[in-house]
Amino acid sequence: MSSARFTPGMDKHAVMITRVAETQWHAVEDDLTVGRGYTSLRPDGRMFLSIDAWHGAAFDRLAETMLADLPRPLYTVADGADLDLVSDWERAGFTMRRREWEYLVPTDPQVTGLGSAPPAGVTIVAVGRAERGPLLTLERVIREEVEATVGWREMPAEVPPRPDGATTVDPSQYAVAAQGDEYVGLLRVTTVLRQPRCRRIGLIAVRSGRQRRGVARALLAHVLGSLHRCGIEAASADVNESNGAAVALFEGVGARRVNSSLELVLR
Amino acid sequence: MARTTEGIEVEGTVIECLRNATFRVELENGHKVLAHISGKIRKNYIKILPYDRVLVELSAYDLTRGRILYRYRT
Repeated sequence: MSSARFTPGMDKHAVMITRVAETQWHAVEDDLTVGRGYTSLRPDGRMFLSIDAWHGAAFDRLAETMLADLPRPLYTVADGADLDLVSDWERAGFTMRRREWEYLVPTDPQVTGLGSAPPAGVTIVAVGRAERGPLLTLERVIREEVEATVGWREMPAEVPPRPDGATTVDPSQYAVAAQGDEYVGLLRVTTVLRQPRCRRIGLIAVRSGRQRRGVARALLAHVLGSLHRCGIEAASADVNESNGAAVALFEGVGARRVNSSLELVLR
Repeated sequence: MARTTEGIEVEGTVIECLRNATFRVELENGHKVLAHISGKIRKNYIKILPYDRVLVELSAYDLTRGRILYRYRT
């Protein structure tokens, strides 16, 4: 595989970069591995990079070599709080494409201010009580609507599309909103084994023709209220910053931002 | 603790999540290090929480700093 030597001049570091595999680069300095870079392809065809380096010079030289070898566009992910890493990627020419906030959502109705009554004509079916057939139908319809509009690239990373179109919906994880004889909205809530006093809201979605009527808020009210009665104090959820409706929904019930994930792109 | 051509790798337990996306990890030998997460973990949105068992690569320049390479299943 190819190698490139960067000799001292601008700084004290002499770093040798070697592409050791199709998807892997190494940075070596004084016989020490001081950095590694990797690429991986997402199911949607996008190429993501990562670089681990012990100093900025190694990062810069890995990035320089990798970017020279790879086609555009290229993507990477950084923790929003990791300012040094974000700065490293920006120095390499990457710009922020989107930010996903992790919210911590209280469950206590006295804090959330959520009532228990859903909109007229809407019934909330408790977690685990939904019928599998109609739930599968709703989940498929919502996925098709997302594909036809914003696309899954804009959705939180934890609700990715399934490449083969297969679905493995587990009714024990869903509360649904029913109107008449059909399901119109869903909320998936899961247990995080390592956080027994918290639950994770993985997806909350309402069919396009039934949005802006309080269905998502009613689903959230029902699920959070149920969790509170079970002694669960909080739930977490990831929300794309550009999704104004979702941001307003969560911040309106007192959710607070605890972390963020940035997706950066080099076009 | 294992020294490989890639560096020094050692298991530990996350004892604190700090600001700036760093974690305080107590190693098997009792030493505590500050560690970032690796790019692979970040790309896969793997969350690191207190009490997680992790594999840490120590910096060749500073043995009090490291990088979390892997989170063991609990």
